[in-house]
Amino acid sequence: MPRIVVCFKWVIDEAYIRTGASQELDLENVDYKLSDYDRNAIEEAVRLKEEYGGSLVGITVGVPEATKGIKDALSRGPEKAYFINDASFDNLEPSQTATILADVVSSQIEYDLIICGEGSSDLYAQQVGPRLAEKLGIPCISYVQKLGIENGEIIAERKMEEGVEVVAAPMPALVTVVPDINSPRVPGLKDTLMASKKPVISITKDQLSQTYEPCLQTAGILAASMERNCVKFGGELEGIAGFVESLLKEGVIS
Amino acid sequence: MAGVWVLAENHRQTLELLNIGRVLASKLGTRLAAFLLHDREMAQEYIEYGADDILLLPSLPEDQSLDAYIPVIAEEAQKQEPDIFLVAATLRGKEIAARIASRLNTGLCSECISLTLDESGKNLEMERLMFGGAAAQKVTCRTRPQMATVPPRTFEPAVKQSGREGQIKELPVPPASALRVLEKKARAHEASDIREARVVVCAGRGIEKQEDMALVRELAEAVGGEIACTRPISEELHWLPENLCIGLSGINVKPDLYIGVGVSGQIQHVTGIRDAKVICAINNDENAPIFEAADYGIVGDLYEVVPKLIKELKGEK
Repeated sequence: MPRIVVCFKWVIDEAYIRTGASQELDLENVDYKLSDYDRNAIEEAVRLKEEYGGSLVGITVGVPEATKGIKDALSRGPEKAYFINDASFDNLEPSQTATILADVVSSQIEYDLIICGEGSSDLYAQQVGPRLAEKLGIPCISYVQKLGIENGEIIAERKMEEGVEVVAAPMPALVTVVPDINSPRVPGLKDTLMASKKPVISITKDQLSQTYEPCLQTAGILAASMERNCVKFGGELEGIAGFVESLLKEGVIS
Repeated sequence: MAGVWVLAENHRQTLELLNIGRVLASKLGTRLAAFLLHDREMAQEYIEYGADDILLLPSLPEDQSLDAYIPVIAEEAQKQEPDIFLVAATLRGKEIAARIASRLNTGLCSECISLTLDESGKNLEMERLMFGGAAAQKVTCRTRPQMATVPPRTFEPAVKQSGREGQIKELPVPPASALRVLEKKARAHEASDIREARVVVCAGRGIEKQEDMALVRELAEAVGGEIACTRPISEELHWLPENLCIGLSGINVKPDLYIGVGVSGQIQHVTGIRDAKVICAINNDENAPIFEAADYGIVGDLYEVVPKLIKELKGEK
């Protein structure tokens, strides 16, 4: 029966980001959420546990204030959570997140399968899963849209540009999942209440085997400019004629 | 420590990376090396397209995937210590770039949309999108090699210069990867690739019923375009296949004309159309975010607007 670990991240909800003067981001009043793709990762882990039995734990790296994210993740099914936290763990880059996860997973958790979302809603660098697999020295199957276990092996359908690739890998292995793999359940009140009672193992920075320095340096973050005409027409015949005329002038229709 | 390396799964993307790779290598006064997957015949061609060195990867058994090359590529990088290593951001490319970066303990800028050298002429300034495309992040990499994945079609393919000379180096056969490919299935219906389409008409959640997709198709026909959709249409409703879904974790399109029909304009979708020349939208909510991302919009019920628009378009022809 597989011992499953699912990774998740508590991120800024981009819907709350406003652009300040001179294109800088206004993060004053942002709210946070469980990264979208991690909802699929957790759902898939829960589905596998329902099908094959075994155990399921969650793990995350973040700032100590991210407890709401732990509760959100636990309400979706994992039995307990590992919370690696430090005030300096905001804005970690993928190489740091992956090595910190690898540090804890390799020293404290017995596992057969690790599931990650294909990327995070905030950075969407899509590196943590593959980097983590590499640090642990286990096979990595990325962009999975269908997942199963047969004869102790992972069988996965990967969604590739040219079609579907079906692959097999021995366990332990790491899988990253795409959103079409499932539709995450919405936790109910009971799930939320139960989540508060589940154990959370807090791991602080000094319990890691070393410190992990960043490789990248962010020179700046600005709102992505979309300079568009923003001309609006009405839905009556006159408006439609004006719309068509504009497209003719642009030379994009003939 | 020198050299600019490029790695892509296919021919066209290799040429695109050779183009930007040539620019960087010339400025740095260093050599440009391209990986070539088991097709020795192509080596001379890549040299003519700008490569100084070809790193030839041996062919793999049928049940092996690109990931098998990771140890060989990482080992070669440890020996030669390239300064810059660019990988085409295909799905497999993004995975192996992250794993190679992990082996080399270096930084990787994912889906980099702009690459320039800084004032010192030594460090790459790389730009990428974050927060679902709402923001652009500019990064530099303190470690070497400076790695980036580059989305297909970010750069034009390199131009051929006959008579260039270069060297070919054969890399060793990699050990078998634990990952075995059991089967490859091509897409069920090979729709024409909408990433190449000149006009794209995109169906959004404002379309109420599956049969109403006919209206979107009719509009696409009237403007000579291909149809595509937003994530809910393919993922939740399955009215169109996944490969026609535009946006983050879907595809990016660069048409001359994009028309969103009943598309609200969530940032994850808009990111996939940001390189369209002209963006148009039809939506009954005048505050829908798509209008901020559009050049021309029609505010109105799509069920009334689209038939009128089709008539108007046909009348013009």
